Amino acid sequence: MTVSEHTSARVSSHLSENGDALTIRVTGNFDFNLHRDFQRAYQNISPSPKHYCIDLSETRHLDSAALGMLLLLRDHCLSEEPEPGQVTVELLNANEHVGTILTISNFDQIFTIR
Amino acid sequence: MIEADAEESSELCQLLGSCAEGGQGLRPIRTSLFKDATAAIAEYSALRPDVVIFGPLAALAATAEDLHQLRAQGGLAPVPILFVMSGGESITASSLQTGCDEILLKPYNPSLVRLKLAALQRLCDFSRSLLQQRNRIRRHHADLLQEQAGARQIFNNLGHESCLGQTDAIRYHLSPRAVLAGDVLAAAYGPGGKLLMLLGDFTGHGLAAAVGAVPLTSIFYSMVPKGFSLSHILRELNTKLHHVLPPDMFCCAVMFEFDPHKRHIRLFNGGMPSACLRHSSGELRLLESRHLPLGVLDTVSIEESIEHISVEDGDHLYLWSDGVHEARNLRGELFGEQRLLDILAAPVPEGQRFDHILSSVSHFCADQHDDLSLVEVALDNAAPWRGSAWTLDDEPAEKVPRLGDWSINFTLGPEELRDADPLPLLHSVLAQVPGAASFRDPLTIVLGELFRNALEHGLLRLDSSLKGTDSGFAEYYRQLHRGQRELREGWIRIALRCRDRGGRGLLEVVVEDSGHGLPERARGGNAYSGRGLPLLRAICRKVQLQPGSSRVRAVLNWGETAAAGRRTRTPAAH
Repeated sequence: MTVSEHTSARVSSHLSENGDALTIRVTGNFDFNLHRDFQRAYQNISPSPKHYCIDLSETRHLDSAALGMLLLLRDHCLSEEPEPGQVTVELLNANEHVGTILTISNFDQIFTIR
Repeated sequence: MIEADAEESSELCQLLGSCAEGGQGLRPIRTSLFKDATAAIAEYSALRPDVVIFGPLAALAATAEDLHQLRAQGGLAPVPILFVMSGGESITASSLQTGCDEILLKPYNPSLVRLKLAALQRLCDFSRSLLQQRNRIRRHHADLLQEQAGARQIFNNLGHESCLGQTDAIRYHLSPRAVLAGDVLAAAYGPGGKLLMLLGDFTGHGLAAAVGAVPLTSIFYSMVPKGFSLSHILRELNTKLHHVLPPDMFCCAVMFEFDPHKRHIRLFNGGMPSACLRHSSGELRLLESRHLPLGVLDTVSIEESIEHISVEDGDHLYLWSDGVHEARNLRGELFGEQRLLDILAAPVPEGQRFDHILSSVSHFCADQHDDLSLVEVALDNAAPWRGSAWTLDDEPAEKVPRLGDWSINFTLGPEELRDADPLPLLHSVLAQVPGAASFRDPLTIVLGELFRNALEHGLLRLDSSLKGTDSGFAEYYRQLHRGQRELREGWIRIALRCRDRGGRGLLEVVVEDSGHGLPERARGGNAYSGRGLPLLRAICRKVQLQPGSSRVRAVLNWGETAAAGRRTRTPAAH
């Protein structure tokens, strides 16, 4: 077990120039260890972005804790949006394994998966 | 301090005293003097020294055995042992072999001695705090194990209402870590002999994951015996879990209802690995997740995700958690779903497949991993009666002192009918009526059949020939739920009348609806063309229904219910 892995290096985020879209990229295993870093990536951004893209192209595995973090992100967006339907959360570029996990959980019912 | 020479020892004492006064964070030094190592060892445990210093003469006489004994007395706590040596003596390898930790050179250089003592003090403080932390962690860990044992006990007791131990038809394996891994298994028979089972997997680990199992099992075990439907129970579970769980926690669950009379399964899968129905031919049918896990959203569309499956002789149903897929071998390879399906499909003597799967998984991962939950249900034997007797209910007739003469009438309007489940309400009323509780199972079946007939064919005029295929089944239920939602008028009237004939009695059930009456047989089979009618005829003394009429009358013989339950299976199975 790796005791001191720098988790912050595994979550990177990028805000578009007009501040509309936030892209969060998660590298390696998306699991409980990233809890704090993942939350930090989208909290305290003012004004709040309208589009959230979670880039999973570098994500190898995703566990149920990660699904929970995605739900937290969704709650965050719903609480921030001025009117229903204005904020979107997209999950992008999942590999086959991660895609299967998202499918089994039927997360496509609450997120846009591309 | 160990030193026989008075002059040497007083010089050393003085030096130590001056060191302590000279700063560098050194604490005040208190010295005890011993003539030799043996005397020091004898007093060691009473004194509990922070450091042991051998004076120049004692250092020459010290043996490795002395040092070994001193260290043994000290235990794990670090107590450095210092030798004083004259600068003139050549410090040879052999003089160091005794194993001291540090050397003080004569003539003394007070600043250097102070530096060394301060360094040693820091080292000892550090080691001591490490030791304290280790002890604290040990204590916490012991407490944690104690708490977990307590939690496990609670969960074992929660499961006491289950029927898992009452039938050979169900075999299951839950990881010993199941409680804290968040896996939960619940099973119970509903009135009328339906088997309901749920295998759930809460996200996360530890107590938080385990706590969610408490509301889940309590809802399950209180609703199933009252006759609530699969979808009603699931809606209740979802609402409760959504309410109590933190937003990032949820419960993946597969739950099914098996009707042993109609040989039919309704199965819901929200976020669990596919359940698997195995035909005796070895052919597998996967029942994959079609819904979000429970507790994610506050409102759910359970009905649309339920699969309807007709069961054939020799069918087995398998449920498992992702622990089976995610078992890894020493090389880090996953066991995976395909490997599991291959094992399931392979010909293994009946009755041995369950053990075969378990041993294959544990063999694959070299017994490294025991995080899996697996359930096998032999559907042929999953009814609550075995051979000739209901195993779960007492023989009713003897226990009922009197039946009484009574009658009850219900009329359900569109509002009630839209919300599906009036039967549990009826059951709860009947439970208060003398004798009716012991008559529960056959009555449930009869009421259920007649009510559904009135709703589905009388009011909504659904075509039961649709139910010939699995996809038709799904379509049939879609139409049913749409019809129910859109129901704006109509009623169903249920009348029960009991007559006591000295310990034996008659129960008359009349169900009537506002529809246009049962369709003629000629028009593609009527409401009872399926398994319903043979089932009713097997249970009731008399069933009266006529094409063109919307009134059905069934008469049950009170006091012969056990026999009725027995007879139901044969005609219903085919």
